[in-house]
Amino acid sequence: MKKYMSIMIAILLLLLAACSNNTAGDQGKTGDAKHPSGTITVWGWDVAASTMKAAVEKFQKQYPDVKVKVEDFNSGDLYEKLTVGLAARGSGLPDVVLMEDERIPGYVHQFPTGFLPLNKLGYDKYKDSFNPAKVATVQNKDGDFIAAPWDIGPAGVFYRVDYFKKANVDPNSIKTWDDYIAAGKKIKEATGAKLLPIDIPNYDGVFQMMMQQQGLSYFDKDGKLALQSKEAIRAMEVIKKLHDADLVLNNKGWDGIVTATVNGSVATVPYGVWYAGSIMDQAPDLKGKWDVFFLPSFEEGGSRFANVGGSSLLIPSTSKNQSAAYAFVEFFTTDKDSQLLGFEKYGLFPSLKETYSAPQFTANSEYFNNSPIFKKFADIVDQVPQINVNENLAKASSIMSNAQAAILLENKSVESALRDAQKQLENELKK
Amino acid sequence: MITSKKISSKIGIYSLLIAGVILSIGPFYWMLVGSTLPSGEIFHIPPKLLPGDHLAKNFQSLNESLGIAKIFWNSLFIALVYTFTCTLISAMAGYAFAKFHFKGKNLFFFIILCTLMIPSQVTLIPLFEMMVSFNWLNTYQAIILPSLASPFAIYLMRQNMKAVPDSIIEASRVDGAGELRIFFTIILPVVRPALAAVSIFLFMSQWNSLIWPLITLNSKEMFTLPVALSSLIGMARIDYGQVMLGTTLSTIPIMLFFLLLQKHFISGILGGSVKE
Repeated sequence: MKKYMSIMIAILLLLLAACSNNTAGDQGKTGDAKHPSGTITVWGWDVAASTMKAAVEKFQKQYPDVKVKVEDFNSGDLYEKLTVGLAARGSGLPDVVLMEDERIPGYVHQFPTGFLPLNKLGYDKYKDSFNPAKVATVQNKDGDFIAAPWDIGPAGVFYRVDYFKKANVDPNSIKTWDDYIAAGKKIKEATGAKLLPIDIPNYDGVFQMMMQQQGLSYFDKDGKLALQSKEAIRAMEVIKKLHDADLVLNNKGWDGIVTATVNGSVATVPYGVWYAGSIMDQAPDLKGKWDVFFLPSFEEGGSRFANVGGSSLLIPSTSKNQSAAYAFVEFFTTDKDSQLLGFEKYGLFPSLKETYSAPQFTANSEYFNNSPIFKKFADIVDQVPQINVNENLAKASSIMSNAQAAILLENKSVESALRDAQKQLENELKK
Repeated sequence: MITSKKISSKIGIYSLLIAGVILSIGPFYWMLVGSTLPSGEIFHIPPKLLPGDHLAKNFQSLNESLGIAKIFWNSLFIALVYTFTCTLISAMAGYAFAKFHFKGKNLFFFIILCTLMIPSQVTLIPLFEMMVSFNWLNTYQAIILPSLASPFAIYLMRQNMKAVPDSIIEASRVDGAGELRIFFTIILPVVRPALAAVSIFLFMSQWNSLIWPLITLNSKEMFTLPVALSSLIGMARIDYGQVMLGTTLSTIPIMLFFLLLQKHFISGILGGSVKE
């Protein structure tokens, strides 16, 4: 028996050896800060990863000794890998990683030493090159850059030009949320389409936009909960009015929004500017039928600007080739051409201010009713209010979504739902 | 009277059955149709029920974004090697636990059963650190080896091996067969249904497994099908036609594998139902 066992073990080992292909390459080689060299790995997702891949060519003209390997995952998968890697004390992580801005505070909170502060490497000299609201989101409390800012998503309301015409509604006349609701009623009568999609129990994005245009997240500037503020109450009340007038299409998730956009069951979609790319992608037949206006405000003359989404680049502190990683991050986020490349091809709206004067930005978009939609957004990015982003946003968002569901689907009153939400969140934060 | 009653009850049964068929086949059919449509048309209202003409194009773009042949090979290689080795190991272990007497047998078996109760999330991070220190990230063995000893499969094999009469084994020993020969030529053929059940189970779980391969694999050339399909879901842009086609393709091997072993599998399910 013993003999056979050892034969089996030998076979197993052989099998092992047969399928092992060694991947260790020239990763051990690194240069110094002035002349970085070696290979770095970058993690990103779909169009962002494609943009970085495309930018490598120009990067290598400046840094011929650095090889860049961009690896592409879906964002959920990337976070999963990143969390496991950070929990495993930084093993198996890449040299540069892409992250959505709303995730940054959470990761930094959970893994305080997980990422390199970029100030030490000299990134703070670019402080004024970017949109200020964006800079605020990628800095920690001491004003250190934790991430290098890339794209942003100034919010607007995408609308169906043909529906508005049919209902005889002038989009320029929509100034406040009350105008918006009134227009929605008219459009529904004329076309049968609802006004906007909201995944009621799972997505509070519209509420978030409304809060940000009033200068708040779920928290105020001092980090205190703002769910019972007058701003929160009137935002929720608008959403309730929309729902009471049967103008909200309760569609599930991202697929639900895309579905509604393609099949014409909604007349508007309030979202970040990057949604323009998805509309063009998924609904090529609707060319010329979409356009955009800014978010309505709460009172005439009030702020109409907010931001949805955006992402930035971070360097895990376990990176074995920090000089090359920094060289890439610095080059990529501050190079006008690379930023414009991602914008033109994939609709990633840069936060680098010098790009906004480029012709790609100022041109009229054929798809969007021949209007210069990107210029519209570029003109207002500086007016997007800065808000308090912290590590509790995800928790707050899920609690708010529940409150939204209670208000819209179970007829709970706005005040009591928000009061309960605030209490619940206070409890969770104490833990 | 009786016949009309019979007919009406038949109508009732059949309409129930048809509803069941539609419910279970419907999503599958929609996936098939979806794989032949361009992304934008999948969400049309009313939904399109007839296949479109986009199949070749979807395949082309799927192949461009994934390199479908290599991905398929990765998945197939991993799943087959894993299924074969793991089935063999669990059959051997099960045989030993069922038919041999050695010190600590019950204790070992108890420990193996206990590992069934450890959630996989707990072992995820230590296992990952292990793979990193072996320098095994992005390799086949990182996926195949850690789960090679499956407690569930060992348990299942042991229960089946127990049903094999001791007298067969004793008779073969008297006839002078060696232990390995007994195992391979006498025992394994007898427990064929159990082998089939275990290998279908292992094949499916490996073929569909996402989290572990996702965490250990980094480059596109090494991805298995679920990881690759998951990478198709972008942040803001999803080509649903590609996703549908990829999902359709990924179900084919499972169906083939199941059909191939179905006869043994079903006799395995029924195997315990009748006692002599």
